[in-house]
Amino acid sequence: MRTCDDRIVSPSAALALVFGFSLAVCLPNAADAQAAPKPVIQETLQIGDEPGRISTEEVVITDGPYARQVVFFRSNEVPGTLVIHTSERFAYLVQGNNRALRYGIGVGREGFQWSGLVRVSRKAEWPDWRPPPEMIARQPYLPRFMAGGSGNPMGARALYLGSTVFRIHGTNQPETIGHAISSGCFRLANGDVIDLYERVPLGTKVVVRQGSSL
Amino acid sequence: MLNAAKLYTIAGMTLALSCASAAPSAAGTLESVKQRGVLQCGVSEGLFGFSERNGVGDWSGFDVDFCRSVAGAIFDDQSKVAFVPLSAGERFEALRTGRIDLLSRNSTWTLEREAGLGLAFAGITYHDGQGFMVMRDLNVSSALELDRATVCVESGTTSQLNLADFFRANSMNYEERAFPSAAEALAAFETGQCKVLTRDQSALYAERLKLPRPSAAVILPDVISKEPLGPVTRADDPAWFTLVKWVNFALVNAEELGISSRNVAEATASHKPAVRRFAGLEGGLGRLLGLEDAWALRAVQAAGNYAEIYERNLGVESRLGIPRGLNQLWNMGGVLYAPPLR
Repeated sequence: MRTCDDRIVSPSAALALVFGFSLAVCLPNAADAQAAPKPVIQETLQIGDEPGRISTEEVVITDGPYARQVVFFRSNEVPGTLVIHTSERFAYLVQGNNRALRYGIGVGREGFQWSGLVRVSRKAEWPDWRPPPEMIARQPYLPRFMAGGSGNPMGARALYLGSTVFRIHGTNQPETIGHAISSGCFRLANGDVIDLYERVPLGTKVVVRQGSSL
Repeated sequence: MLNAAKLYTIAGMTLALSCASAAPSAAGTLESVKQRGVLQCGVSEGLFGFSERNGVGDWSGFDVDFCRSVAGAIFDDQSKVAFVPLSAGERFEALRTGRIDLLSRNSTWTLEREAGLGLAFAGITYHDGQGFMVMRDLNVSSALELDRATVCVESGTTSQLNLADFFRANSMNYEERAFPSAAEALAAFETGQCKVLTRDQSALYAERLKLPRPSAAVILPDVISKEPLGPVTRADDPAWFTLVKWVNFALVNAEELGISSRNVAEATASHKPAVRRFAGLEGGLGRLLGLEDAWALRAVQAAGNYAEIYERNLGVESRLGIPRGLNQLWNMGGVLYAPPLR
């Protein structure tokens, strides 16, 4: 199973990330070979990314299991820690007193799923999008660069995870929440990622867990 | 003194032995189940998500699936179950008299029921507990924020007593609206006579579906009482009790090991020792239970592992939509913990 780089990012590495990251989307590319142990140049999205498609800017999931809600969650992690269970499609923001604020997420498709301990190394509002070369090879019609905004597949906010190429971001396709379609990233509806962004400071510990395999 | 005590012990043992042989199906439940070719499993007459029968007589539900898991472990055929619908009043007597082999009917594990009725709870399949439902617009995320709330409750229930205890223990005040039935309490909540409704959490999720707009209400994560539900056997057949208990443990261990009804074939090809023991490829554990070595895998094949059974009947994608909460694995935020198969 491929795991993400689990080093805690040093300040200088974090600084390097700020400049180096604009290239990466969710696919590892050559520049990120260090972060991704094995080169993974594969399919990214089976459904199109639909750049330009405008979702309601701040869609919040209000109904059903993927609605943001406080749930029972027993944890030894300190309050403020973000725990992501990929197999359940949930992210838990630990609140203490056996409770957590739970968000529905879309996760990396099988084979792209990873686990590890990282920290939030950078935060961005309405991040730009630069599809990596592999993605453009497959979907030549994709733009080479797309400025952040309401039609951007990266959505309203992004939380960068350690020195990995992965991030927690929004989406202009809120109906994909609860599914495994992104290539290792965790996506939330825009309104929910804005809510999470406000609650999660830089340096927040993020634990990514997946179900066990045979 | 010593002699007298010895005498009493011997007398007691003799009495116990004669009682045991007089009971309708004392020991050997497994043998009689095998001979009969079908498991007699007591379930609820109808409880949303736990035990239901559809128009053509097919049973479904969390408690129903546990019966199927046991049948799967014994017969490698989950259909070899006869479901016996029982009311709350008759359930334990049906077990004591041997009308059923196993009771899987949302029954709370208490001391009185074990020591007083000669029954043995074979573990906990569902950790229920009393909770609170509030209207979403109240903007409350913890029961500790309910000071001075108006609370609807069914009168004469343990829920009413737990409610009083909880508010007193947390130095909070509340105004109680007690109703003779659960339906009336729900109606009062619906019409705004109270801001809060309290009952066991699993029931609150079912009640919420009856509201005109279920999403307008939220069930708080706090659990203020213990209502451990589990399968029940007679206390006079420890071998059968052990078998039922380990089927429950197997379902939980399967989830933890990543074994599900969808990857049974892969499990038999695994190189992980824990998975190989589970699949019966090593260890010879089935024989100790009087079953074949693939018993645990067959239990999973019958209705799925714990997560599959939970999600299908109660979970976030089902109509009830109950988060795993306490009923999540011990290493995933809940309290489910099964001893290892070895």
